[in-house]
Amino acid sequence: MTDSQSRHQSRSFQSQGFWADAWARFRRKPLAMAALVFVTLLAAVALLAPAIAGTKPVLCRYKGRIYAPCLGYFDRRLEPTIFAKDRFRGTYPRNLKEKDADSWAIWPLVFQDPHRAVRENEWPGRPANPAKDEGRPNGINLFGTDQYGVDVFAKMVHGTTIALLVGVVSMGLAGTIGIIVGALGGYFGGWVDMLTSRVTEIVMCVPTLVLILAVIAIVEKPTIWKTMAIIGATGWTGIARLTRGEFLRLRQSEFVTAARATGAGPVRIMLRHILPNALAPVLVPITFGIASAILTESSLSFLGFGPPPPAASWGSLLNDARSNLSMWWLVVFPGVAIFLTVLAYNLIGEGLQEVTDPRLREARK
Amino acid sequence: MRRWNDSAFLASRAISASAAIPRRVIMSGRVCLVALAVMLPACGRRAEELPAKALPETTGGQAAAVATAGSSQDQALEPFDPPPLESLNGDSGWIDRPVRDGLVILREQQAKEPPSGAVAEALSLRNTSSAINKQILSTLGRLPDEGAADLSARIDRHVAGDLGSTNPIMISTSAEFDILGLTGFGLFSFGRDLEPFASAETVVSWQTSANGLLDKVVLRDDLVWSDGEPITAHDIAFTYQVIMDRRVPVPAVRSGTDQMRWVHAYDDRTIVFFHKEPLATNVWNINFPVLPKHVYQKTWEDDPTLKESPEHIKLEESPVSGGPYEIVERKRGQQIVLRRRANWSQVGGRKVREEPFFKEVRFRIIEDPNTSLLALKAGEIDELPLTPEQWTTQTTGDDFYASTTKVTASEWVSFHFGWNIDSPFFADRRVRRAMSYAFDHDGMLEKLCYGLYKPAAGNFADDSWMAPKKKLQPYQQDLDKAEALLDEAGWIDHDNDGIRDKEINGRLVPFEFSMLVNQQPLRIAICTLMKESLEQVGVRMNVRPTEATVIQDLTQKKKFQAYFGGWGSGTDPDSSENIWATGAGRNFVSYSNPEVDRLFAEGRRELDRSKRAEKYGRIQEILYDDQPYTWLYWRNSFYGFSKDLRGYVFSPRGPYNYSPGFGSLWMPRQE
Repeated sequence: MTDSQSRHQSRSFQSQGFWADAWARFRRKPLAMAALVFVTLLAAVALLAPAIAGTKPVLCRYKGRIYAPCLGYFDRRLEPTIFAKDRFRGTYPRNLKEKDADSWAIWPLVFQDPHRAVRENEWPGRPANPAKDEGRPNGINLFGTDQYGVDVFAKMVHGTTIALLVGVVSMGLAGTIGIIVGALGGYFGGWVDMLTSRVTEIVMCVPTLVLILAVIAIVEKPTIWKTMAIIGATGWTGIARLTRGEFLRLRQSEFVTAARATGAGPVRIMLRHILPNALAPVLVPITFGIASAILTESSLSFLGFGPPPPAASWGSLLNDARSNLSMWWLVVFPGVAIFLTVLAYNLIGEGLQEVTDPRLREARK
Repeated sequence: MRRWNDSAFLASRAISASAAIPRRVIMSGRVCLVALAVMLPACGRRAEELPAKALPETTGGQAAAVATAGSSQDQALEPFDPPPLESLNGDSGWIDRPVRDGLVILREQQAKEPPSGAVAEALSLRNTSSAINKQILSTLGRLPDEGAADLSARIDRHVAGDLGSTNPIMISTSAEFDILGLTGFGLFSFGRDLEPFASAETVVSWQTSANGLLDKVVLRDDLVWSDGEPITAHDIAFTYQVIMDRRVPVPAVRSGTDQMRWVHAYDDRTIVFFHKEPLATNVWNINFPVLPKHVYQKTWEDDPTLKESPEHIKLEESPVSGGPYEIVERKRGQQIVLRRRANWSQVGGRKVREEPFFKEVRFRIIEDPNTSLLALKAGEIDELPLTPEQWTTQTTGDDFYASTTKVTASEWVSFHFGWNIDSPFFADRRVRRAMSYAFDHDGMLEKLCYGLYKPAAGNFADDSWMAPKKKLQPYQQDLDKAEALLDEAGWIDHDNDGIRDKEINGRLVPFEFSMLVNQQPLRIAICTLMKESLEQVGVRMNVRPTEATVIQDLTQKKKFQAYFGGWGSGTDPDSSENIWATGAGRNFVSYSNPEVDRLFAEGRRELDRSKRAEKYGRIQEILYDDQPYTWLYWRNSFYGFSKDLRGYVFSPRGPYNYSPGFGSLWMPRQE
């Protein structure tokens, strides 16, 4: 038994595995941890957005049954149709009481709508949202309102969903493509490698922003999902290259040879043996990719090519601010949110890099 | 009515562009409609205002060309043998028509209305009420006293897009109208009241035959092109031939000239326009831009595109100008500089015409409205159309009033939702009416338009002569009525998913459609308001912000369900025919009503103004009942002007596109 083998074996009994070890190190990095907490919080906000800000009850009892109209914020089809039938017309507080005296409702924390201005007395006793440039932040509109009276806080909260989705979905797609392409090239080498490398280089040349603008012009119904798909479909090249490098390196290693000797097929070797060992360095560009995808989406929205209205997105709030810079709250809140989110992902990425890359780890000692 | 976009104007016919012309002269007429059309967009230069369909200035030309294709230009001009002038003079009882100078007309009008205050006072006012607006306009809108204007002044104007071409017959977009209106030569124009006249700066006399089939114009003998060659009647006849040649991709001005039978020059100064029919609109049809025959006669046959051969490329860069200004510098996408032509006012060593007030007109091309406003405040430009938002919130402080002021006036530019009657959703009139009843019209005017725009209920402006006597009111939001109409039309939520649906060809079709809209924040907000309203009655609408050229293309091909668009009115109600007549070029919504077709045809042939008005009023009422559009608002003109500028006077087509229009602007001599 060689030295390294014996060390490996003794570790597996006494010490943590690679990921547990990385996590332990990661936890000791205050900035990275803070960023992780921040992103987790954002994810919670995104999931709970309709319960945080909205004008539809989170839960309500109406004519003897319990409903959750707030789900309509995720998809209109999730909103119970009984309210449309009973001609609620989007105004719940008054109609619930009028049409069923026994009804009750649990309301979102902030009674504001991300898609429209709240009207006078929609919530009993509350004035209509101020419009034009008069909607400074106040007790009712925490982050102020935009030119048309729509609450900025509500837009930000609901925009979180888009921001996070864009990052996670597009990089999920990019990661999948990148890992598959990189793995094939790195593992098989030869003409496969030649082919995948060239394809990677070609895709690298495609300017994502321009491609998205072109696609938006062509497709019938541009949606945020198509944007995510394009960001994902063009953003995998860095991941593929890293994966290829790792696979090239690892396919020569002894445990792969051992696996092959036991009769494992290429798919099994790639998935079961090489990939887990190659994953750490690949996670880093994915994390940075999430940050850059969020920036791309914000840029698109800022340019006016974001998700179709009235969907709220941080970038489109910034775009609204462009026409009147004296409405500072349209700049500051979404600007800070984008900045912090991108920063958080970058910090996480950096933290990951430091705790998983043995060379960096050694250097820091 | 022109569409705002340019195409619109096509539709209309062009009329004269004079508007743009500098002072008086102007070429009179060029397409007014056009101008309008253009203009509108122009105003709209700010994006905001562009109607959905408005073409972006830079691409307008091409798009417009597409628009007209397939219409009149497909018919080749049949040869015509004009009778000798003597026989015309013998047979026709000639009726004299007005030959005026727009600036003189304005001076006469102003002499009757003394200014309502001192200039210094007006300059110190902040425009916060209609009374103050009136005072500013009345005081600062005056023409100069003798010697008061600084004739060596330069004005920096704003345009939102570059020129597609500097050739005057290729005129199409608002930017082209603004600029080529100053460099082009024309015979006709129209005043603030939109009444046409021949321009005294270029014409000696204008007569129409008693039967309405001929117009005879005698030109002045002291007109020269910028290269020194005389401008003659042969230039006009030649230009007519070029415009009517279908190989030449003329985007706008052919609609109008195609109503004529022939144009013939009997000598250097006498030109006769032969009409096919005695139409009320003939007076606009004879108004088209003019090319220098001596420059183009050898080159145009070889290159009918007028822009591809080396000679034409050279001409495109430094065109021969017939108007008061010539282009001396052109930096694409940045600026275009015009200089006053010496041989416009001085010919053969003597003064034959008044000089325009500005020595140099510099057009700065700035697309972004926010950047434009900064440029105005910094004094880099002297005039700028403002958006309602800019008017209300960004031009109220000391930073704005330090060196600029602002005024507003009503303008005949309206916006609408257009419903594609060919689509399964909007074929039924009840559905279209339901759409209008669902919309929160008051909410739009008050909240989104800041209370600055007037409600629109129909095709013709309420204060125009062609609108019906009884003022139509916009459909007010009534969701119960909207739901009842949708129920009646068979759109009921059969499958209980919250969206109404209807069985069409055996398939249950949900009522879900897309609304095309230009990427302007205000327009998107209006569409979003509609979306919210419709959701309350079980109809799903997807707002689809789209680039203006794409909207133009999709509406042209009728590949849309609904769109947000706008039109500028032409000087003549007949210009709306190609929006509403069955199968007409700009009838994007595929509207068809035999009575409307008949009324347009009758209106064109009716020469009595009040009888015409009845017909157009009736059209307005029919359209109101049918609601092929949900009319939204009439957009006012909002302008910021440098405090150094004087003489701005507004017509229903804005401050520039009429006569004198831009020609009345001046700067005082520095003491």
